[in-house]
Amino acid sequence: MAAFDYRQAEEIRDVFQRHGARYLFLGKSGAILLGYPDTTQDAHLFIERSKSNCEALYHALVELGFRFTGDEAEEVKRGKDFIQLKNGPFDLDLVFAPDGIERFGDAWERHVEVEGFPVCHIDDIIASKQAANRAKDRESLPRLKSFCEYWLQTRNRE
Amino acid sequence: MSAIPLEWLEEFEAAARRPLKQRMRYAFVRTYKPVLDDVRFRSFDSMEEYRRWCESNLPDWLGYGRV
Repeated sequence: MAAFDYRQAEEIRDVFQRHGARYLFLGKSGAILLGYPDTTQDAHLFIERSKSNCEALYHALVELGFRFTGDEAEEVKRGKDFIQLKNGPFDLDLVFAPDGIERFGDAWERHVEVEGFPVCHIDDIIASKQAANRAKDRESLPRLKSFCEYWLQTRNRE
Repeated sequence: MSAIPLEWLEEFEAAARRPLKQRMRYAFVRTYKPVLDDVRFRSFDSMEEYRRWCESNLPDWLGYGRV
């Protein structure tokens, strides 16, 4: 399977919008959309966990080409806290309750649009990584915090 | 921006000059991750359960273990 690319991100944006599924790019993939220069493997989406949104999400994923067994479909529709998908055209991590972010609505209030892609604010991306406290997060946090400072300053100048 | 190391600042500025499409082409890479990539679907009832699963099942060098 090839790496995630811009065209696939556009497909997520367009198909999710058509189905009315609310989500935010989170994690390093979100930071990259904001301009952070680094590498990552997968796209991480923070999904609003409501019954109607999970239903919309499921249908959007099917349209994108993800294939589910009956049990898997139910788990997506139920909005389990964390779901890893490797059963479609690209890999996708669905996060319904990320570490360090209390409610989807709060993150949505702060979110940023980049070329139509809804992205968590850099402060939420950092908060999530700090709370996860994995070795790989610890390694990336100093540079990510520097990027946050750069991003906020350049954004304020615009 | 004096607190930002010069090398990083130059990288941020260079990235800001690139269009998003190009930034994404540079950013997303694909390498096999043992165990993690071996099933087509995996789900967890809580992030705590996921973190514990990572610590018990993934090789340390992948970096998914908590510090």
